[in-house]
Amino acid sequence: GRPGSGWAAREARRDRSAGGGAPPDPPGDMLCTASENLPWANIARLLLFQKTPEIYSVELSGTEDVGKTDTGDGKEKYRGLKDKRLELKKNHQKEELKKEVDLEDHKLSIKELERKYGTNIVTGLSSTQAAELLARNGPNALTPPKETPEIVKFPQADGAILCWIAYGIQYFNDKSSSLDSVYLGCVLALVVILTGIFAYYQEAKSTNIMASFSKMIPQQALVIRDSEKKTVPAEQLVVGDIVEIKGGDKIPADIRLLSTQGCKVDNSSLTGNLTPSLRTHDNPLEAENPWNKMSTSPVGTATGMVINTGDRTIIGQIASLASGVGHEKTPIAIEIEHFVHIVAGVAVSIGILFFIIAVSMKYYVLDSIIFLIGIIVANVPEGLLATVTVTLSLTAKRMAKKNCLVKNLEAVETLGSTSIICSDKTGTLTQNRMTVAHLWFDNQIFVADTSEDHSNQVFDQSSGTWASLSKIITLCNRAEFRPGQESVPIMKKVVVGDASETALLKFSEVILGDVMEIRKRNRKVAEIPFNSTNKFQLSIHETDDPSDKRFLMVMKGAPERVLEKCSTIMVNGQEQPLDDSTAEAFHTAYMELGGLGERVLGFCHLYLPADKFPETYSFDVDTVNFPTSNLCFVGLLSMIDPPRSTVPDAVTKCRSAGIKVIMVTGDHPITAKAIAKSVGIISANSETVEDIAKRLNIPVEQVSKRDAKAAVVTGMELKDMSPEQLDELLTDYSEIVFARTSPQQKLIIVEGCQRQDAVVAVTGDGVNDSPALKKADIGIAMGIAGSDAAKNAADMVLLDDNFASIVTGVEEGRLIFDNLKKTIAYTLTKNIAELCPFLIYIIAGLPLPIGTITILFIDLGTDIIPSIALAYEKAESDIMNRKPRHKKKDRLVNAPLAIYSYLHIGLMQALGAFVVYFTVYAQEGFRPSALINLRVEWEKDSVNDLEDSYGQEWTQYQRKYLEWTGYTAFFVGIMIQQIADLIIRKTRRNSIFQQGLFRNKVIWVGIASQIIIALILSYGLGSVSALNFTMLRPQYWFVAVPHAILIWVYDEVRKLFIRLYPGSWWDKNMYY
Amino acid sequence: MSQAEGGVITSAFILLFYLVFYGFLTAMFTLTMWVMLQTVSDHTPKYQDRLATPGLMIRPKTENLDVIVNVSDTESWDQHVQKLNKFLEPYNDSIQAQKNDVCRPGRYYEQPDNGVLNYPKRACQFNRTQLGDCSGIGDPTHYGYSTGQPCVFIKMNRVINFYAGANQSMNVTCVGKRDEDAENLGSFVMFPANGNIDLMYFPYYGKKFHVNYTQPLVAVKFLNVTPNVEVNVECRINAANIATDDERDKFAGRVAFKLRINKT
Repeated sequence: GRPGSGWAAREARRDRSAGGGAPPDPPGDMLCTASENLPWANIARLLLFQKTPEIYSVELSGTEDVGKTDTGDGKEKYRGLKDKRLELKKNHQKEELKKEVDLEDHKLSIKELERKYGTNIVTGLSSTQAAELLARNGPNALTPPKETPEIVKFPQADGAILCWIAYGIQYFNDKSSSLDSVYLGCVLALVVILTGIFAYYQEAKSTNIMASFSKMIPQQALVIRDSEKKTVPAEQLVVGDIVEIKGGDKIPADIRLLSTQGCKVDNSSLTGNLTPSLRTHDNPLEAENPWNKMSTSPVGTATGMVINTGDRTIIGQIASLASGVGHEKTPIAIEIEHFVHIVAGVAVSIGILFFIIAVSMKYYVLDSIIFLIGIIVANVPEGLLATVTVTLSLTAKRMAKKNCLVKNLEAVETLGSTSIICSDKTGTLTQNRMTVAHLWFDNQIFVADTSEDHSNQVFDQSSGTWASLSKIITLCNRAEFRPGQESVPIMKKVVVGDASETALLKFSEVILGDVMEIRKRNRKVAEIPFNSTNKFQLSIHETDDPSDKRFLMVMKGAPERVLEKCSTIMVNGQEQPLDDSTAEAFHTAYMELGGLGERVLGFCHLYLPADKFPETYSFDVDTVNFPTSNLCFVGLLSMIDPPRSTVPDAVTKCRSAGIKVIMVTGDHPITAKAIAKSVGIISANSETVEDIAKRLNIPVEQVSKRDAKAAVVTGMELKDMSPEQLDELLTDYSEIVFARTSPQQKLIIVEGCQRQDAVVAVTGDGVNDSPALKKADIGIAMGIAGSDAAKNAADMVLLDDNFASIVTGVEEGRLIFDNLKKTIAYTLTKNIAELCPFLIYIIAGLPLPIGTITILFIDLGTDIIPSIALAYEKAESDIMNRKPRHKKKDRLVNAPLAIYSYLHIGLMQALGAFVVYFTVYAQEGFRPSALINLRVEWEKDSVNDLEDSYGQEWTQYQRKYLEWTGYTAFFVGIMIQQIADLIIRKTRRNSIFQQGLFRNKVIWVGIASQIIIALILSYGLGSVSALNFTMLRPQYWFVAVPHAILIWVYDEVRKLFIRLYPGSWWDKNMYY
Repeated sequence: MSQAEGGVITSAFILLFYLVFYGFLTAMFTLTMWVMLQTVSDHTPKYQDRLATPGLMIRPKTENLDVIVNVSDTESWDQHVQKLNKFLEPYNDSIQAQKNDVCRPGRYYEQPDNGVLNYPKRACQFNRTQLGDCSGIGDPTHYGYSTGQPCVFIKMNRVINFYAGANQSMNVTCVGKRDEDAENLGSFVMFPANGNIDLMYFPYYGKKFHVNYTQPLVAVKFLNVTPNVEVNVECRINAANIATDDERDKFAGRVAFKLRINKT
């Protein structure tokens, strides 16, 4: 067989490098891109700028939009190109789709077909012909997008390494510079490489999950070639091949049916609907003939001719439509970019400001550059990228446990910002199976249990009418359980038969017990199967009553057809003549059930008189030698694809979370509205314009549109709407149902929602949903019912097909946003404490309080685990009771966050760390006053008798060692206060004591890790001079503790005032 | 209240807040610094972790520890001479006699506190005349710089309470760093003789206590350095408790400098 997993796997790959082979800016690569955006590019650019001061202003404006790195312009161009190409492609596809509609192959006769495709329906193609065609048209598989080879992708993600090379050259030119710079270069490079590897690893891991997930059994096809039946890989099918399909097979390509034996095809994944999906093909030349690749054929066998292969199949066209849809940047990517802009802005402006100050203070330019690097390193949260990735993947894992498989890590957060969910109906909101919902007999409507297990059937089963009805349901049914499923619960058994019959079979099996046994006892003697002309199904049975020798004729079908054939009606087990009033009752019931969007079937029976039809009577279904009129009408039964029991609750939760749920379905408006009502998408007390018109008995035009909260819009109406009208519709109505929509219209709806600045989630399972899934900010596919195309286009897969899981996802997504805020606030704080030393060093001339390598040890050492630990923080309040964040207003990093982190806590931290630094120097002999303006003498290699405050003299190395001790002390000072910072960041509004100090145990792991790493650095690696750490006296570890406590107290006060005075200027400026 | 007024009031609030907040932070910082400074004494440092081995240093002090003398070019060495004059002024015999004690050589001059603060502490005399030919007193050759026979002064870094030599005599020796340096270096004489440093100048009690402390010196007069060649000289102290082989600290107990006499 063919190795690999068919087009689905290719699709998965296509998805990864979205945009069909366009290398720049694949959304899945955001993290890598961000790493490019982060520090190193800037450093290189700044270094560059040092060398060529004339391009200074250009570079500055360049850094304002750090997202566009050196390749920015190129990318921009590329984007333009891509858009254009996309448009072209779209148009092209639309044309092709249209062409498909005009496909006329089904109208051709077999002879014409044979001529057209140069084949013979008996002997098939010859092998040579097939090989030729294969060579000409390509394999019957969807073209995977051109993919950047992974090995290329990797350095691409870290073009930043180049920056380091530039940096290295810079220092290579000046050999007199001390080794420290070389160490720093190495560490920086290491950081870049590790971050790259990490991001790559994360990405590869999540892709692997998907790859294993979408594995499919290699597809084979039974084909007639050279007059022989051969099994060939489906990939090798060519136009003109004659294929045979058995029940259960996937249709390997678009085929034109030639002959069938009771074969039906399930096209629901293509059309998105269950109802019209079951096509009968008794007549091979029926107009609905061509079958489409990827559909499955649940029953029967068929022979067909391949008329389209590969990308030219309908599915191929839709798939390429999907992959042609550009994927927007995820909200979290936008937020992180915004954050990077802020950080880069701060870093670059402070860096340049101090560069100018340094130069004007007559520092050497090379020294000034080193200051600049120090300032930038201090400002860039090197560890944040890894932290965000880990945080997201932790949440993704947590969600996977709750049956949400997240393909694209960033989608985790997107779900949290979702403000509109466009949900498909079938399979997502509903159970995706026909189920008996109502019964009407004895002039009464009974409700059947439509929950997932049918366990609770409460309607009155004592009536004689029910006995008769149940018999008809059982006997007039061709569906059967597939053998060998004795241990499977009834509702889960696989049935051979169409959806309605399956529903009836299961319904009767649940209520009556072993249906097969009942059928055996009532042996079938004749049968007229359902067809579209008769619109009824009829069978004649022996009865299981040994004393009754009569035959029982049972019939089911379209209610009006069945009623036509009846002259009596059964009420309470008694036959009564069918008069006008009962006919009226029938119509009322029929209309009512139909109005619920349910599919209604009528049932009737007739006991054939034993004298006319003795036991030996031979029934002939062709001549119909038995009566088919004057039957006895027994009852109606209506079926619907019922909503999942968890959906109404989930919809309510979405509502209270401020999320608008819109139903988009290809189904009939009435059915759609009924389901929408039953799941709460249209709430119980809201009405559509049509409802109001009906209630007030006035024409629709006179109804004030303001009164209606809900709207049901069909695809036809949507087609005539301008984008402005659609916008109006989307804003005016809070409850909207779109019915009878096409794939393109789904796209239009999603785009319309996105125009409202909404973050749109789209759920879907069919191939037809995939373009919309792709277009959505987050596409959610169904794991069980979903087609591979849908899964591949989606960012997230619901493994249990349960809409309620989305709500869990939203909750997790919102939590991750809040926690990321906390993480970033935590990370930003220490930047000031890392930055101030440089500023003081330049201005006041103190010996450098903290080195760049030491800073990196904070950013990438002690701070990493704590910032990840914040991802485990529980929500502070019910995050599902607030509105979704506004994409453009509620930023991840807002002004209060930056100001509070930088100018409040950060400054306090800096002061605390300076206390530790001054303590170390003072106790070793340099009082603070002696340190001022000491820098030049301090750093001179030739000064080996520098006098301290006590008259002692120090050699250069002795001073250097003291400086390292100072680094270590400053480092420990920051670390101790970062512990306090970590604890205060647990909450943004509530008191720490409300949140519980010990509820999130990971925080304590983080704190322990901080302390242990610091201990190892100081006492374990204190002798490695390259690292600039020394063994610190134990008491210095406690010097910053008062400041740490102050930080805690201050933040508690802040939170207290926020809680006490909501809406005050304090709240506005201090709540981040 | 108009919106603009509200904005002004809010801004005023915020301004006030930052004034108070930063005022408080400053106070807090000052307080902790003050508390910290209470832990250190005025007279002796709390710790001397890094000062186990005193370093050596030369005078005249130059940018890269190189003594370059263009004999014919007065300006090239005049700055050295000025520096040395200034450096040696406190060593003048008159000043020494007036301020410092005559101590018994070969013994530490200990002045323990014995419970009561013994302050200020006396220092021992180091008379400029002890430097012999390098004393520069009535020297027309300006410490030999004008004749190409320069004096270089070696001093040992002050370290509080350090008993240099561990009760045994100690001296400074100088050598050329490599073989060719040794050859080029030629002969030299040292003052005091043998480069001895007497124990009586130790221990040092710190700037505050030991007000008139006079650091002992060793003068090296290079007599016939090969001219126009750079000579690497290394001087080290030979003392029982001063290690001179620290790999990282190139100035622990030793000093390396470059000597170059340019003659036309």
